[in-house]
Amino acid sequence: MGVNEHTPVQTSPKEQSRSIAFTKFMRAYQDMVFSTAARLAGNDAQAEDISQEVFIKAYEHFDHLQGSETAGGWLKTVATNLSLNYLSRYRKRWRMFSEEPQIPEPPQPDSAPAELSAQQQQHALEEALRRLPDHQRVPLVLYHFEDFSYEQIAAQLGVSLSKIKTDIRRARAALLPLLEQLGLDSV
Amino acid sequence: MSNDESERRLEIIIDAALAAMPPRPAPASLEARVLAELAHRAALPWWQHSFAAWPRIARLGFVLLCALLAGLAFVGGVWAVHDLGSPALGALSMPWARHLFALVTVAGELARLVPSHWVYEGLAASVALYAALFGLGIAAYRTLYLDPNSQVT
Repeated sequence: MGVNEHTPVQTSPKEQSRSIAFTKFMRAYQDMVFSTAARLAGNDAQAEDISQEVFIKAYEHFDHLQGSETAGGWLKTVATNLSLNYLSRYRKRWRMFSEEPQIPEPPQPDSAPAELSAQQQQHALEEALRRLPDHQRVPLVLYHFEDFSYEQIAAQLGVSLSKIKTDIRRARAALLPLLEQLGLDSV
Repeated sequence: MSNDESERRLEIIIDAALAAMPPRPAPASLEARVLAELAHRAALPWWQHSFAAWPRIARLGFVLLCALLAGLAFVGGVWAVHDLGSPALGALSMPWARHLFALVTVAGELARLVPSHWVYEGLAASVALYAALFGLGIAAYRTLYLDPNSQVT
């Protein structure tokens, strides 16, 4: 797709050039933003909504972000915050309408590890991550992908430090069998 | 191996495995969605944008109008408290004001005639109906819409 196939309303050459620059900017960062949202939200459709909101905010601040070395960090922070807002706003609202969560087993790959391509291994791992319950997946993602400390995660989620450590430990333990099967368990 | 060492080893394994994961490719539809939403927002008239994006003169006018309305509401409240029962109100020249005054008077008289236990019973019935409707909604949601594999925590 060319950069000027879909552009926001353009009223002047300056606006048009801004739109094209923003499209390039979005292409440079959209995978990172989507990954952050998808791993935290555990739901691709919601992750796409969150990513859309992130880039709309980015457009409002594009004059500052364009050419800035911190643009990636800014986008990651906004994506993280919007994902956490989404989780607290929507999931808590519907909690009373749902049964007790049933934690499914992480998916096991159909074929032997040696037969799996790297892409299939990544897919299996992404799927296992997605199937973790929110209270385990979110702190695990914040710790390992977003480089939050245990204390920062506890403060961000409003949960005790000991619970965060327990949830992350359980999430790691839940992922371990898959890693062993994939041969990714060597230090 | 001690428990701490075992946990530390697990952390390193998980960290290495997750760090090796490449970013997930964004859906092809994302770019078009963002640009379409930006175009939609840009096409909106100025008063449908956020207040911060309004023209300066419009923001100033809005604040002044709000201040004026707040002042009128305050003055009107004070006037109503002090002069509601005065004969002058009945002699209002505006027909709609006379009708409104008559309506308020009749409603007040009717409210005085209703026994107080009727009010409490009515409130209790409302609460019970609300709770029943809420419970029915939960049951319907769980029966008709809930995905058994959902992981709401």
